[in-house]
Amino acid sequence: MMSDAAAQSTPAKKPGSTGSLREQMWRYRHFYLFISPFFFLFAVFGLYPLLFSLYLSLVQWDGLTSPKWVGLQNFTTLLRDEQFYRAIWNTILIGVYHFPPMFILAFVFAVILNQQWVKLRAFWRAAVFMPAITPMVVIAFVFFILFSTETGLVNYLYTGALGLLGIEAAGVPWLQNGTWAKITVSILLVWRWTGYNMVIMLAGMQGIPGDMYEAATIDGASRWQQMRYLTIPMMKPTFIFITIMSLIGTVYMFDEVFVLTNGGPGDATTNFGLFLFQQSFQDFRFGYASAAAYSVALVVFVMSLVIFRVGKKGE
Amino acid sequence: MVPTILLVGLLVLAIVLTWLPYVGLAKPPAGKRQVEVWSWTNAADALSGVSEEFEAEHPDLDIYINKNGSNLQTRLLLALSAGSGIPDVSQLQEREAAKYTRTGRLTDLTDWASPYREQFVPAFWDSCVYEGRMYALPWDVGPCAVYYKRWIFEEYGLDPWTIETWDDFVAMGVELKERSGGKVRMLPLSEANLIEMLQILMQQNGGNVFDVQGRIVLDSPQNRQVLALMRQMLDTGINADLTPYSPEWEASYQTDNVACYPNAVWAVAALKQAAGDTAGKWGVFPMPAFEKGGIRTSNLGGSVLIIPRESEVAEEAWSFIEFANCTVEGQIEQFREQGLFPALITAYDHPYFDEKDPFFADQAVNKVFAQDFEKLPTMTRTADWNEAQAYLGRSLTRWAETRQDNGAYLRGVAEALGRKVVREVVPYEELAAQREGTDESGPDDE
Repeated sequence: MMSDAAAQSTPAKKPGSTGSLREQMWRYRHFYLFISPFFFLFAVFGLYPLLFSLYLSLVQWDGLTSPKWVGLQNFTTLLRDEQFYRAIWNTILIGVYHFPPMFILAFVFAVILNQQWVKLRAFWRAAVFMPAITPMVVIAFVFFILFSTETGLVNYLYTGALGLLGIEAAGVPWLQNGTWAKITVSILLVWRWTGYNMVIMLAGMQGIPGDMYEAATIDGASRWQQMRYLTIPMMKPTFIFITIMSLIGTVYMFDEVFVLTNGGPGDATTNFGLFLFQQSFQDFRFGYASAAAYSVALVVFVMSLVIFRVGKKGE
Repeated sequence: MVPTILLVGLLVLAIVLTWLPYVGLAKPPAGKRQVEVWSWTNAADALSGVSEEFEAEHPDLDIYINKNGSNLQTRLLLALSAGSGIPDVSQLQEREAAKYTRTGRLTDLTDWASPYREQFVPAFWDSCVYEGRMYALPWDVGPCAVYYKRWIFEEYGLDPWTIETWDDFVAMGVELKERSGGKVRMLPLSEANLIEMLQILMQQNGGNVFDVQGRIVLDSPQNRQVLALMRQMLDTGINADLTPYSPEWEASYQTDNVACYPNAVWAVAALKQAAGDTAGKWGVFPMPAFEKGGIRTSNLGGSVLIIPRESEVAEEAWSFIEFANCTVEGQIEQFREQGLFPALITAYDHPYFDEKDPFFADQAVNKVFAQDFEKLPTMTRTADWNEAQAYLGRSLTRWAETRQDNGAYLRGVAEALGRKVVREVVPYEELAAQREGTDESGPDDE
């Protein structure tokens, strides 16, 4: 799919075109003019911050006094920073907790809402997608109320249900205990991002040509076999895309934890995104934060490549 | 054609409307110079109150109090860094002042403020000084004492006023627990959240994280003593396992499970709100001392005011904060109206401190909070204070749960912190020797 799109957007080479690069550029100047806004904006808001942050990773800078060159010291400090490792570990745990259920749910919803017989499909799709566009502050407020240990609806239902079975149980400390807080954050992530991933999966499913299913039906494949041998293999590029996007999203996630737990209790839900914020905008360690950002970006890049390669295998 | 005109019109209108508030804000009333002040919550309201009187005395000035949210610090950093949108005065947490005073981006207040030196709490004054120059002015402070439930102590026949030291406090806690059959605990203290108690006790005992040279002095005799006390509180089981300010904590104000709450003066607002029927049955006694005759106070929280260097009305800004903070009337008004406890020692003699509070069974509690406060030891904050807090706050729970040795724990944190913020760590032996030296030469040696 990617290569098709790329092929279409590359202008076909004119067979008779001659002259130096400069002449060609002059000849096509109007086109360059039309695409220039992107490059201008990219240079200002993309490239410049990228390079500036690379420079920052080699200095000590508090944003107020002049930067002090320290070479690679930020990176060596990072390697010995317990806080950094804990942030990374929290990120991994939250990723492991929320990604599988979110992925499966998104797929199930996508399959269901792709069926012809489902009524009001547009409505259901919008409803499932809604959390992705709801402001985080509103969500956090509702989650606070739902997951309060003493007065929350979740614990009320939980203890109530156990009470019916004759079991006296204390409420779950959803936001007070480190492990539970990670789970609460993961629940929020599943709730918030399932719809978004469902939409991507829906698009992927609708990209599978209908005649393939026709052919499969004629060949006598059952619905299950169609799913197993047709839908899932054809969805592979979508799955890879979602996995990589979720990886990036989890590592740089910020507002969910910032608003719901502010990284607490202790630092149990401080993920990498929040760690960066704390280092830079609370502790004024911009150089150090840049070094951390560059190191992790490198790891994320390599991991994305690995996921991509593994996903491509067997095609 | 009409739709196009309509669209253009709407666009222009939208742009104008977007900018209108800024145009409106930027312009002070005609003929007046504006002093913009950034502050938060009730502190902002306190300044608003004082600003009216100030404006009456200075008709050429317009004090604009910008009540900023909790991220004031980040916004101030960005404004200072960008060099635009900078206020003329800003509030800062006392513990975070050091991060700004060393930057050279604040107005040097030394010449203006020095005449008031003797009148302010020294520990807070010290937090405003960097390399001998003053870059901030103390505003409000958070003296600590022990809030207690009179009815509990009466019921079990104990008198909290006989408590002089922390040892007495723990002993009474054990007694209270026994007499009540284990029902009543002396104080709330949760293994999951020990950092506030550590801060309070550390400051009272003259412990520090950093010394004036910026070295890490965490593993000191003072701090080991603090941890030993906290372990004693946990081991004797005189504590109730309550997370500070959680709903359970607030609910405990009305129950018989917890007898007292060592806390700062500003906690009184939340206490009064949550106390319900128990209003009028409370009391406050001074913090127990570490040794007999030791100081019976500590501090938690408090803030300062700064003037950014870029302010074009620095002199006017100073005259406003001088009016608010360096006069007994200004400080008392802010205390009375919004509960900001004065950093100005001379204010403690004001009759307001003798006023009886019906909530505390007509006890004049402010006198208790003011006791010994001018003797409060200084905390050296440095720019890395937040980092130190993070390291301590996170590891204290493990210290409690694994019953780690106090010295080993402090040394471990000191070393981890030293690696992170690249600072020298002073070993225990050196600090112990130093302390013996100071004990002989008198307590005023920092």
